[in-house]
This record gives sequence, C-alpha cells and structure tokens, in this order.
Amino acid sequence: MMRLIGASLLAAILFAGAVAPGVQAQSPEPIIVQSPTMQTGQMMPRDYAPDGRNLSPPLTWDNLPEGTRQIAVICQDHGAGNPPPWVHWIIYNIPGTARGLPEGIPFDAGVPMPPQVTGAVQGNNGWGLSMYRGPAPPAGNLHHYHFVVYALDEELNLPPDLDREELLEAIEGHVIGQGDLVPLYERIQMPEPSGRPRVRDNEFL
Amino acid sequence: MTDDQSPRRISRRDLLRSAGLAGAAAILPGSLHGLAEGEGEVLPDETPTPAASGAVRSGLTMNLTVEEAEILNAMIGRLIPDDEYGPGAQEAGAFGYIDRELGGALAASREIYRAGLLALDRYAQYSRGARFIDLDHTDQDSVLFDVQTGGATGSGAGFLGSSAAFFNLVRAHTWQATFGDPYYGGNRDFIGWDLIDYPGPRMAVSVEDQKLLESGALQSLRRSVYE
Repeated sequence: MMRLIGASLLAAILFAGAVAPGVQAQSPEPIIVQSPTMQTGQMMPRDYAPDGRNLSPPLTWDNLPEGTRQIAVICQDHGAGNPPPWVHWIIYNIPGTARGLPEGIPFDAGVPMPPQVTGAVQGNNGWGLSMYRGPAPPAGNLHHYHFVVYALDEELNLPPDLDREELLEAIEGHVIGQGDLVPLYERIQMPEPSGRPRVRDNEFL
Repeated sequence: MTDDQSPRRISRRDLLRSAGLAGAAAILPGSLHGLAEGEGEVLPDETPTPAASGAVRSGLTMNLTVEEAEILNAMIGRLIPDDEYGPGAQEAGAFGYIDRELGGALAASREIYRAGLLALDRYAQYSRGARFIDLDHTDQDSVLFDVQTGGATGSGAGFLGSSAAFFNLVRAHTWQATFGDPYYGGNRDFIGWDLIDYPGPRMAVSVEDQKLLESGALQSLRRSVYE
C-alpha cells in the first residue's frame, strides 16, 4: 500500500512538474489569420514575389487570446530547405495591440516601422537577411507559403536578427495563440528575350 | 535546393565591416584573389594591370556598351553608395576600373557582365516596371536583393547561371576597385581606404604608430604601396 501511495505521489509530482509552466502544456488558442490580398490555397499576387515588387504582404489577425502582449510572424516553405522549412520572413516584437501588418514592411532597418507596429523588428531569413524575401520556386513547382502568427503572453522585446530556431526557442512557453494563412505561389516566367540567342538560366550551374 | 539559398548579406554596415578586413590585405596584388575567394566565388586570374591614373575619360567606355555602362554604374552605386559614411564606389572610380579591366585582367568575365547587366535590366523592367537605372534607390536595392538571393534566377531574364553568382562577381570587382591599391586604377583619391579608415601601407610601424592606430588617430599616408 505504501509502495502504491509512494508511486502515486511520485507520479503526481512528476505530472505537476511537467505542467508547471502551465502555458507550455496547453495548446495555443486558434488565431484567425487573413489578408486583404491573399487567401489560403490561392495564388499569391506576384507583387509579393521577386517576379513582382517583392513586397511583404499585408496580414490581419483576429481572435487573439486575452493576455496577448506581443506577436511574432514567420513565413516559411515546408517544401524547401535542407532541412525544411525554408524561411522567407521573420518579424516579431509586434505590439499586442496590432491587428495586422501593412503591406511593404521596410527592408532597411534604418527606416522606421509603420506606426501601428512600432517596435517590431525583423529576424534573419534563410538567406541571412533581416527582411522579407518572397517566393521564387523553380518554374512549374507550386509551393505553399505558411504565414504563421504567434500570440505571446509577454513583451519579450527580443533583439533583431534572430533566426527561426532562435526565435522559436525564445518564445517557447509564451505562445498562447497561433494561426496561419497558407497561400500558394508558382513562378511566372517572363517572355523569351528577343533579338539575341536565348540562354537558359541555370544552364551553367 | 529550390531557390538559390546561399546566405548572403548586403547591408552597408556589414559590407564595410567585411571590407575593413579585406582592405588591409588589399595592398598586395595577389590579395585581389582573396577578396573574391572570401565570398566563395572561384574567379579567373584577375591581377589587374597598373594604371597611372583613372584611365577612363568621363563619358567614354573602353569595353562596355553605353547601355551596359549605365546599368553597371547604377549597380555599383548601390553596392557602396555615396551616403553619410562618405563617397561611394562611383566616386572611387569603380566603374572605370571594371570597364578597363574587362579588356584585361577581368576579360574572362566579359560575357558574364554582358549577359548579367542586360538580364538585370530586363528583370527590373519585368518585376518593377522600369529600367534599372530609372528606379529609385529603394527599388534598385530591392531588385539587387532579389539578384543577390537568386530570386532573379529562373525568371527567364537571361542570367548566365545563378543571378547570385553574377551579383557576387560584380560585388567582388567593386570591392577590388574601391578598396584596392590606387596603383591599379581604382580607389580614386583614396576614397576606399578613407571609407574603412585604412591608414595605408607602411614599411615599418612604430610603437607610437600602433597606439595611434588602435585609438583611430593614425593619419593616412594617402600613398600607394608602389610609390
């Protein structure tokens, strides 16, 4: 009997320890992520890719959990990278009062952020650049781009230039809400050049 | 890899930090190879021929067409811009250096330049709706980020291979031109060395010189190693 009680007590202690942080053990509440210009399962406009102006797309979010203090966003392609995902964009320290990101977040850290996201900073994408870099998959390949929004329970005020792994480590235990938007993109080839021999890109790779 | 996914940086701050490391080595002709190799590029033998002064007269090109020259000059103007840090690559005569050496030490890269510059311009027109030289600086930088990260590869613009390889080639040559010894025709008025606070080559460095160097007070000799 004592052995049974002891085992139960031990299990209770271990269980209590496992859930002690509370937030970590709970599933984040779902956030509704939308965009005025993109939809899950639909092609992204080319202006959000190097085929166009390579602007960061506008995002909105709703249904943030009570207690949201800051927001982080990652854009990633699970069909690329070694190992996947390939990261196209990281932005965090977004005020918990923000209800989205406007189009065209500055790629120059010296340019102020839009007023509604003052304080936000960008992290290092897969190219090691602290900026948005839109999709440019090989022609004929349709890729899915996950814009993941995390609601955080604390103003972490993290330093800029974190990569995905560093950011996820930093926000671990603070994620109280999560949602995503997953538009698609397929490369648009420009017309064949005229007046000179055509040399295919990558021919000499 | 589905994109050209080599991590690269282009920021002015990082460029100058890296250039500062390279600049001290750039006093020797052989170190010109090192600049490129440091970027992971394998370049042909590129020891430039000496030039008594900026060999290219204003408005004339030696090896590039006028169209290519306009695009290249705009590109190098964004790689090392004239800004609050001081004059940039254009002011340092980088265009003249590259144009001249494309008929000499950089001749093996001539075709890559021809295709790459025209592809850059086509890509700018396709993606941003205007020629590269007609874009504002923000859009020019944005285009160059796409070229640097390989985003322009596969667009059909006509780069010979990866757009990132073209970007790195031009960047390496721009650095050579800006931070190399003026003996080779670039680094006009020691603009490049002033930009990175390189005090110039010295046969000997006294203890006092070393102290001044470490405090940032060592005056530049403003003299080529060959003088």
